[in-house]
Amino acid sequence: MIAREERVPRSLRRFAVPIGIALLAYVILVPLTSTDTAQQAGLPLLADKLWFRIATTVAMFVVMASAWNIIGGLTGYASFGNVAFFGLGAYTVGVLVSSRSWPFPLALILAPVTASLFALIVGIPLLRLRGHYFAVATLGIGVAVGEVVNNLAPLGASTGLFLPIVRSDLLFFYLMLGAAAVAVLSTWLILRTRFGYGLLAIRENEEAAKIIGVNTNLYKVAAFCIAAALTGLAGGIFAQWNSFINQENVFAISDNVQMILMAVVGGAGTVLGPVAGAISLELIIQTLAGGGSKAVYSQIGLGVLLAVCVIFIPRGVIDFFGGQSRLSLQYLRQTLRETSA
Amino acid sequence: MSLLAVRDLSKRFGGVKALAGVTFTVEPGQVLGIIGPNGAGKTTLLNCISGLTRPDAGDIRWDDRSISGMPAYRIARLGIGRTFQIVRPFPSMTVRENTAMGGLFGRPDGRLQPAAALKAADEVIDLVGLGEKRHHAVLRLTVPDRKRLEVARALAMHPRLLLLDEVMAGLNQVEVEQALTMVRRVQEGGVTIVLIEHVMSVIVGVCTHALVLNFGRTLIEGPPAEVLNDPRVIEAYLGERYARRQQPPPAPPSKGDGNAQA
Repeated sequence: MIAREERVPRSLRRFAVPIGIALLAYVILVPLTSTDTAQQAGLPLLADKLWFRIATTVAMFVVMASAWNIIGGLTGYASFGNVAFFGLGAYTVGVLVSSRSWPFPLALILAPVTASLFALIVGIPLLRLRGHYFAVATLGIGVAVGEVVNNLAPLGASTGLFLPIVRSDLLFFYLMLGAAAVAVLSTWLILRTRFGYGLLAIRENEEAAKIIGVNTNLYKVAAFCIAAALTGLAGGIFAQWNSFINQENVFAISDNVQMILMAVVGGAGTVLGPVAGAISLELIIQTLAGGGSKAVYSQIGLGVLLAVCVIFIPRGVIDFFGGQSRLSLQYLRQTLRETSA
Repeated sequence: MSLLAVRDLSKRFGGVKALAGVTFTVEPGQVLGIIGPNGAGKTTLLNCISGLTRPDAGDIRWDDRSISGMPAYRIARLGIGRTFQIVRPFPSMTVRENTAMGGLFGRPDGRLQPAAALKAADEVIDLVGLGEKRHHAVLRLTVPDRKRLEVARALAMHPRLLLLDEVMAGLNQVEVEQALTMVRRVQEGGVTIVLIEHVMSVIVGVCTHALVLNFGRTLIEGPPAEVLNDPRVIEAYLGERYARRQQPPPAPPSKGDGNAQA
């Protein structure tokens, strides 16, 4: 509501808005330097293969973290099974393109549909559970779906599925960027509607939400389905981009943990928190991946950083840098008190 | 026609009969006070009416239509608002936002959009006396203020019936007086009220009717002053011996009885 917007401090807006616009312009325009026309015109190549790989991965995690944020951050249901939606989206595209020879765009439209149908089926019973029970149950779903896919011959079983290779870094980057934009815009829109306030009410006190007239079951399932659709879309793009999918690369629980960390570190329940979290963490992870033998220590450092973030700035980086005197003991004490209830 | 009619309502939790056939009606404009010792089933009764608990047997009729077992959100939208004994605000929202949530979801006469709900919230915030604190975070509110907020959120739903679960518990004398004024103002606004209370001055002060629950049954029902002086009520609260001491002494037992055991 209005007061909620007031809470985004002006100082943050003054810095964040221009930086955000500059960053957005950079990621939209820089890839264009790799086109033939740009190269013939003598522009410097600012986006090589590695740039595209990292940028597309970052965008993919923006989608996943934002989608997780809708069910985990706004609704307060920490799902450890969102990766199942990613995998289902990926396998929808995989099967349709490789076995049925569907055109990729048509298959991609069905990826979010499959994922959200699945969310509807498992969400109705699972969303009756709360807290740790919900987390564990969804974790089970995430693992189970991967195992089932791993054992089904029509889905390539443990070999996986190979898709015809499409060589276009530009296409997949812009597709993933588009998906990220859709995810962020959806969150922004949701937070401006009655639906969004209903989700917040469920997160803050589900019984109180019921008693003021929120159809909690419907809202929770709807939020779960929206999260699933977005995650499935990312999975569908990934399948064609990577042109090879198997249980390990699309049903990885570590991906699920990663999207949660990104949303939480960035600021669960906010629009831009998951974006900030996904960009910063994925860039750190990608940097560490090329770190050689010292990568182990850097991984430990990342772990410590995450632990510190979760304990001391549980509302996320966005909130931490948002206020005036956030670097004070009082802020620390206040957030600890308010979030440990 | 009664606004609310509860008939033979029963609810059991394992071996405990929380409600064992409660029957009463609420007429429009009434302020019905429900009292009873701890564990008498008062909150279970409110939970059944508001749909948070599904009764095992019996019927609840609203406007002559059965609402027994209906989901809580639909009951809320029919015009039944409630508060919780242990307050349940939305902690990340301000007083104004919390209140607006009532108008955003619960109105029987058409739910409001976010901006309109915020505007509508201001009226009820003033009514419960939180006007100056409308932009405060809930976590900064004192207990009495949180109880007021609980009422404000329910009132924002424009209910025809308001169920108040011990809104005065834990308040001091002055705060109880303020709360009483608030309840009277709400009643004058045309809202029928059912309230659970332990503070007897509240029952006498605002209630038009009183009902005593004991072990899940209606012990007695009637005008507050009469009900509170009934020996059965004193017995239910303070035990049989205390009740007997308040009565004219019964005939002394015959001497033989006293020595029979010795």
